[in-house]
Amino acid sequence: MKKSMMALIVNIAAISVIFFACSKGGKDTPDPGDNEKFDKTAMLTYYVDQMIIPGYTAFQQKTNALQTAVAAFAEAPSPATQTEAIAALKTAHLQYQQIEAFNNLTPATSATLEYSVNFCGGLTNTDLLLNGFSVDSVTIENNISTGVYNLSEYSNTSFYSQGFPALGYLIAGPDAIAKFAANTANRVKYINDVAERIKVLADKVVSDWGIYRSTFIGNTQSNVGSPIGNLVNQMAYEMDVLKGPRIGWPFGKQSNGQVFSTKVEGYFTGNSIALAVANLKNLKLVYTAGGSGKGFSDYLNALGKQSLNSMISSQFDITITKLEAIPDPLSNSLVAEATAVNTAYGEIQKLLTLIKTDMASATGVQISFMDNDGD
Amino acid sequence: MEINQRLKIEEVCNPGKSSLLKFCSIKWNQQVSIAPLVSFRIIFGLLMCFSLIRFWWRGWIEAVYILPQFHFNYWGFEWVTPPGNPGMYILFIIIIISTILIVLGLFYRIATITFFLGFTYVELIDVTTYLNHYYFISLVAFIMIWLPANRFLSLDVYFKPSIKRVYVPLFTVGILRFQLAIVYIFAGLAKLNYDWLILAEPMRTWLPAKSHLPIVGAFMYEEWVAYLFSWFGAIYDSLIVFFLLNRKTRSFAYVFVVIFHVATAIFFPGIGMFPYVMIASTVIFFSSDFHKKLLFRLTGDVLLISAPNSTNTYRFLFYKPLYIGVIIYIFFQIIIPLRFLFYSDHLFWSEEGYRFSWRVMLIEKSGNAIFTIKDGDKVYEVNNAQFLTPLQEKMMSTQPDLILQYAHYLALEYKNKGLRNPEVYGEIYVTLNGIPSRLFIDSTINLARQQLSWKHYKWVLPYTR
Repeated sequence: MKKSMMALIVNIAAISVIFFACSKGGKDTPDPGDNEKFDKTAMLTYYVDQMIIPGYTAFQQKTNALQTAVAAFAEAPSPATQTEAIAALKTAHLQYQQIEAFNNLTPATSATLEYSVNFCGGLTNTDLLLNGFSVDSVTIENNISTGVYNLSEYSNTSFYSQGFPALGYLIAGPDAIAKFAANTANRVKYINDVAERIKVLADKVVSDWGIYRSTFIGNTQSNVGSPIGNLVNQMAYEMDVLKGPRIGWPFGKQSNGQVFSTKVEGYFTGNSIALAVANLKNLKLVYTAGGSGKGFSDYLNALGKQSLNSMISSQFDITITKLEAIPDPLSNSLVAEATAVNTAYGEIQKLLTLIKTDMASATGVQISFMDNDGD
Repeated sequence: MEINQRLKIEEVCNPGKSSLLKFCSIKWNQQVSIAPLVSFRIIFGLLMCFSLIRFWWRGWIEAVYILPQFHFNYWGFEWVTPPGNPGMYILFIIIIISTILIVLGLFYRIATITFFLGFTYVELIDVTTYLNHYYFISLVAFIMIWLPANRFLSLDVYFKPSIKRVYVPLFTVGILRFQLAIVYIFAGLAKLNYDWLILAEPMRTWLPAKSHLPIVGAFMYEEWVAYLFSWFGAIYDSLIVFFLLNRKTRSFAYVFVVIFHVATAIFFPGIGMFPYVMIASTVIFFSSDFHKKLLFRLTGDVLLISAPNSTNTYRFLFYKPLYIGVIIYIFFQIIIPLRFLFYSDHLFWSEEGYRFSWRVMLIEKSGNAIFTIKDGDKVYEVNNAQFLTPLQEKMMSTQPDLILQYAHYLALEYKNKGLRNPEVYGEIYVTLNGIPSRLFIDSTINLARQQLSWKHYKWVLPYTR
């Protein structure tokens, strides 16, 4: 019995060898690379201790400062307090870009941070009026006049009337100071409530990370819902948001060039490009882990994908440069600097493809927001 | 009819006219215990029941069949549409009930027909949900309709003892073994390619993502491990059937089956039920005697060990058309996985003739598709997320026929939005088995004007390494 089995195996081996010999075969043997072991726990530890927790802690401080500045503005609305509040808003909003890459990890999702702080409408929103980084000023004014609202309500109407976009409208929007003359108490309460909610959520995320940290670094799987899977998926999602709500949609890519200048991120503070650049720079930082040798770029190197790594790195740099070439406010540049916007858009698309296909494929991560069987 | 058949057997046994065909014919009708069919019926029914409940429990009915606004059709099955909510749940309940009836052997014929039609209908709703083992289940369900698997240890027999049988023609068991052999052998043949064996792709890509596994995890970055997995997989798939068929090696081979599939379940949890379906189905390879003893121990029914005679042996009423049917079935099972040979382009790239061919976990492929609609001087870029689920988008981006279906759908959608003559262009980048992503289709071709076809799509760009 054993003999016949051995014979069979030998036969098959021989047939296989002949099969390869006959097939076109080995012109470019793949680069073996330095297939050294890569320490995924060290990678996750770097992210959590060097980027995530410091990022959220700084965000928490800046939302604290924002709350104070907003309160001062609400108590005595004047150009001086307004300037202070706008500065605090910009600072907090910029800091938010340092943590948006971690928005799909448990602490942020359980706080609905993305929706409640910087709602971009998601990628599937088909509402013609309120989409992208819209501000629902009608609902905001209505909330103020009735004094009845629930900011923790889970609905687009609620998300579009709070967070940074709402604060932008309330602090830096048209006649922001003058509007305090009417219905003062309600307006003061609303603006303070919005600022407080951002701060409360920041507090929650910071404290949740204290608990979640060990779970995060303890799971080095790459499947759907794992930390590595989530980080790669969020990178792809961030690129989708940059391509869509941040730049492409307001630019009119999907609407035959019809521009939606009021739907850019940070419309009232006029710093959309600064925000987008901060976001993309941070994404690059996630990718490289700041050159610590522990990031995704190093993981790709360890997998023998050096050329892919250098392609992604340089595409990050090109895209950042092209984004920086667009002058703020973006709402003006969409028309005035259409060529620059279009150029940046093209580079964003290339980077998106590299991350969504090549990088996800190489790291064995499935780009999907749903677990499913596959064979 | 029975006399006729007996005559035929006598004729076959006539030494003067012996030939391979006639030998086959005798083997084909050889009386064997019904036990393997009974075991298979119960195991298969239970597994399907569990599998369907799992699908429901994971929320996939809603995610896959209720939420999407668009479904990718199989050509010729455009009429298959999801029955919505609660229709889809009702359909699942009906199918689940049919699996329970199969286990119990109650209203067996109706239950198997219901299960086959129901399950197949669900699978036909959306191409992007295609899985080889779903196809396998549909085929087995179809076969089971014709098998007398309810003639022992079933409620049908309990209610009508006169239908009880303990012997069946060998081909009823053989057809199930044949089906499994097709799965394994074609899965094995599919692996005999340059990428799999020489480059160890996609194992080389997939294994480092498994470094978290205890003990073996540390080796996942090693190149030789990728080769070991690839080669072992190819040899296993190609040969396991022969070891299962051989009485001497059978039990040893089954241990291998279990180890192999449990290992794949651990390494690739994403393949879902496939390993369990295979572990359960391969028990059909155990001899009729083995199953008979098992069943005898279970039921103590002495009829099982009685000698075959005309009252305890199952006979098919219309055996001639049935035989022809079986031969046609076998023919197509062999031809369908080979149809890729009629296409000249690289199979993994264009995927023409890829489905229904037992290519399981064979390639790592992903893409990013950007569609642009043009109408005169108007230009609109499409937001895929608005029309497709992430799963649909992922599957569509790498498969030409799905790209075309989606393009046609987009043309219609934008026509409904008021465009007069929408042209659809796709800028699609695909990476396959680690080659850098590159343009997949000709981005200057108006996809709205391209027809679905069995022929090679000329707008798919040629594959280059």
